[in-house]
Amino acid sequence: MQNPHPHHHQASASCLLELDDPDATQKWAAELLRQCARAISEKDIALFCKATESGERCYKTSVSVAEMSHSFESTRKVILQFQEVSPWTTFGHVASNGAILEALEGEAKLHIIDISNTYCTQWPTLLEALATRNDDSPHLRLTVVATAGVGGFVMDEIGQRMGKFARLMGVPFEFHVIRDLSRLDELTEEELGLREGEAVAVNCVGALRRVGVEQRHAFIRMLRTFRPRVVTVVEEEADFTSCSGEFAVCFDECLRFYATYLETLEESFPPTSNERLALERECSRSILRVLACDGDGVGDCERREKGSQWCRRLMEAFSSNSFSDDVVDDLKALLKRYRAGWSLMPAQGDASGLYLTWKQQPVVWACAWKP
Amino acid sequence: MPWTSETHIELSGGGKLAIVFREAEGEEMAGEAVSKASRPPNPCPDPSLPPVVKKKRNLPGTPDPEAEVIALSPRTLLATNRFPCEICGKGFQRDQNLQLHRRGHNLPWKLKQRSGKEPRKRVYVCPEESCIHHNPARALGDLTGIKKHFCRKHGEKKWKCDKCSKRYAVQSDWKAHSKTCGTREYRCDCGVLFSRRDSFITHRAFCDALAEETARVSAAYTMTNTASIGSVDSLLQDGVATPNIWKHLSPNLKPNIMDREVGQQDRHGCSSWMGHGGRLDNAFDGTTAMSEINHAGLVDSQLSWIHCNKLSSLPTSNTLKPLMGSVPSLFTSLPHRPAPDVSATALLQKAAQVGAISTTPFSGSFGPSECQNTSAGDGSVFDGLLIHEFAASNTDEVYITRTRSMLRDCLGGATRDFLGVGVQTLCQPSANGWI
Repeated sequence: MQNPHPHHHQASASCLLELDDPDATQKWAAELLRQCARAISEKDIALFCKATESGERCYKTSVSVAEMSHSFESTRKVILQFQEVSPWTTFGHVASNGAILEALEGEAKLHIIDISNTYCTQWPTLLEALATRNDDSPHLRLTVVATAGVGGFVMDEIGQRMGKFARLMGVPFEFHVIRDLSRLDELTEEELGLREGEAVAVNCVGALRRVGVEQRHAFIRMLRTFRPRVVTVVEEEADFTSCSGEFAVCFDECLRFYATYLETLEESFPPTSNERLALERECSRSILRVLACDGDGVGDCERREKGSQWCRRLMEAFSSNSFSDDVVDDLKALLKRYRAGWSLMPAQGDASGLYLTWKQQPVVWACAWKP
Repeated sequence: MPWTSETHIELSGGGKLAIVFREAEGEEMAGEAVSKASRPPNPCPDPSLPPVVKKKRNLPGTPDPEAEVIALSPRTLLATNRFPCEICGKGFQRDQNLQLHRRGHNLPWKLKQRSGKEPRKRVYVCPEESCIHHNPARALGDLTGIKKHFCRKHGEKKWKCDKCSKRYAVQSDWKAHSKTCGTREYRCDCGVLFSRRDSFITHRAFCDALAEETARVSAAYTMTNTASIGSVDSLLQDGVATPNIWKHLSPNLKPNIMDREVGQQDRHGCSSWMGHGGRLDNAFDGTTAMSEINHAGLVDSQLSWIHCNKLSSLPTSNTLKPLMGSVPSLFTSLPHRPAPDVSATALLQKAAQVGAISTTPFSGSFGPSECQNTSAGDGSVFDGLLIHEFAASNTDEVYITRTRSMLRDCLGGATRDFLGVGVQTLCQPSANGWI
């Protein structure tokens, strides 16, 4: 087989072996990966893009293209369809909503600070629960913290729909978006406008990983200053942080995690699904974000950490609150609504929380914390 | 008020009895079948047997003032299987049930007849002090009823649906739910069908149909005169406006909600109201509110059904005298409460028919397919339905309350006792009338 990547450095050509030999194939793949890793660690972004995207687009271009195509319509369609076929995100929603409802039971004024990437898809079921569970629905104030990357007009549209839906449910409702943050750790108490007599819940779904690695400690402490009754955390189970010095290790972890994710996409969606294609494209952008970003993870790097790592950080400011049996039952019932392959796994050892597993491999971690 | 007419109703089938409504001094006679051992029940009515009167069902929590009040302990109420079969050990809650079961073992069996000298009617209070039915004036007339009530409201919910993890205290409620759980389909106004409730809810919140709806409703609302809440007089005056809404609302309520109610105490009340609808009509002839509503073409049964679902302890027709004074309250509270409730129901669950019962094609608009008197294809029904949903914000609290409880009823939650909160004050005259 010819060298498939003529742009490769000459030195690597001699390492390529015949393809008929299966061992050779593996060695070839490994060598390819090593070359890619080396190229990236030397910040050879152009090469990397060519090797992975098979196109001329570089990282920045692909990101801007993505933002342009993120209309409310397409975002909604992709997200809702994803939730329909896979529990990847709904697992976190159900766990968090359950913990929030239980922690705020009996309170008349609720304030949920939503720092997440859920586009508010988590909240309709919570609104419905507030409407039907109690004799008197409490007043709910929802403050969404939207970071750069989420188009402003998308959040406006979403906010309007949430308001209408809350009226439909008969839940007194207020909605507010904080959007002028370039970085999550710029969030302050003043911006949130906390009020007396409110019971606060902080919902961090896919949020902590967007905080710069060095700022995470301070960020978690800051959450404490909001005096929340509960902090719900949902993160994807991958470690792109502790390997930040060693690119190849990071790359391996990237491969492992995203391969699993892509596999769940493939097995959850019907074969010819536009939504799946959209998610796969988003996935490749996500990989680029992780791999091509700078050391500290400033920007939208999304350097994930595993549940056990987050636990160590969160334990400095909070104590863990295990999910109640009712919530676990709800999660089990949730998983039954999807195809086989998914299951629950409690955290082991020092870690707390619950994992969603795909073919026995943990993929998403959820945990609730109290002050 | 005692029955003034005598009606013969003969039931077909073996071993049944002729039932006679008999005028008596405010008391009914009741009896049960008596059969000798080792003989099948008499297929023909025995003329020597005293005619029996089928007991009328009252609304729950509206006891006969002459009745004897019985307070049973929680342990007694929760006890099941107090009558065990000597052969197979199966336990039964009542001796009658055990006797019938003994037939299967070819054992001698005997059903007890109630003693000839009519015992005083019994009503039961709930032992839970914070419960509305703890008050003897709101006692329940049925032993099975009080048992189920206590179990549902104050008992531990031991039975859990594994599909949706909804919990029940009464096993029969849980069984009934399990049969239908997951079989229900939800259809959004935009046409998409869902088998999962959570997906339906999430979809609904973001659906374009919701956005359009609210635009239309806001327009309709501004053109309509809203009655102010809490003012009885103004409600009567608004009798003209509200019955129109009722015309639209009532057909929706019945099909949506009746089928879904599982194990709600009020169901018993519903049947009684259905039967008594006619009586109510006669009694209140001449009352402004009632005649106006009648002229609006409301079916009594629908009206009464709405009644029973929301106002669980309205007086029955046999205590009409004390009621007369509170007639206005009876009907003026009516138009208000379910209206915003139905809007939430309609918008969210209107198309959520139990999968088995409805396969009507989607009308493509907000018009519910089961509604008899709506013109499909336009939003006119919805205008009426939604009219109160977007009531002025200063009345948000009140409407929101009703919306929620109705929503909960439809979605299978616990029935809210409206009288326990707001209408109690209105009912005070009648309560005094009894005591």
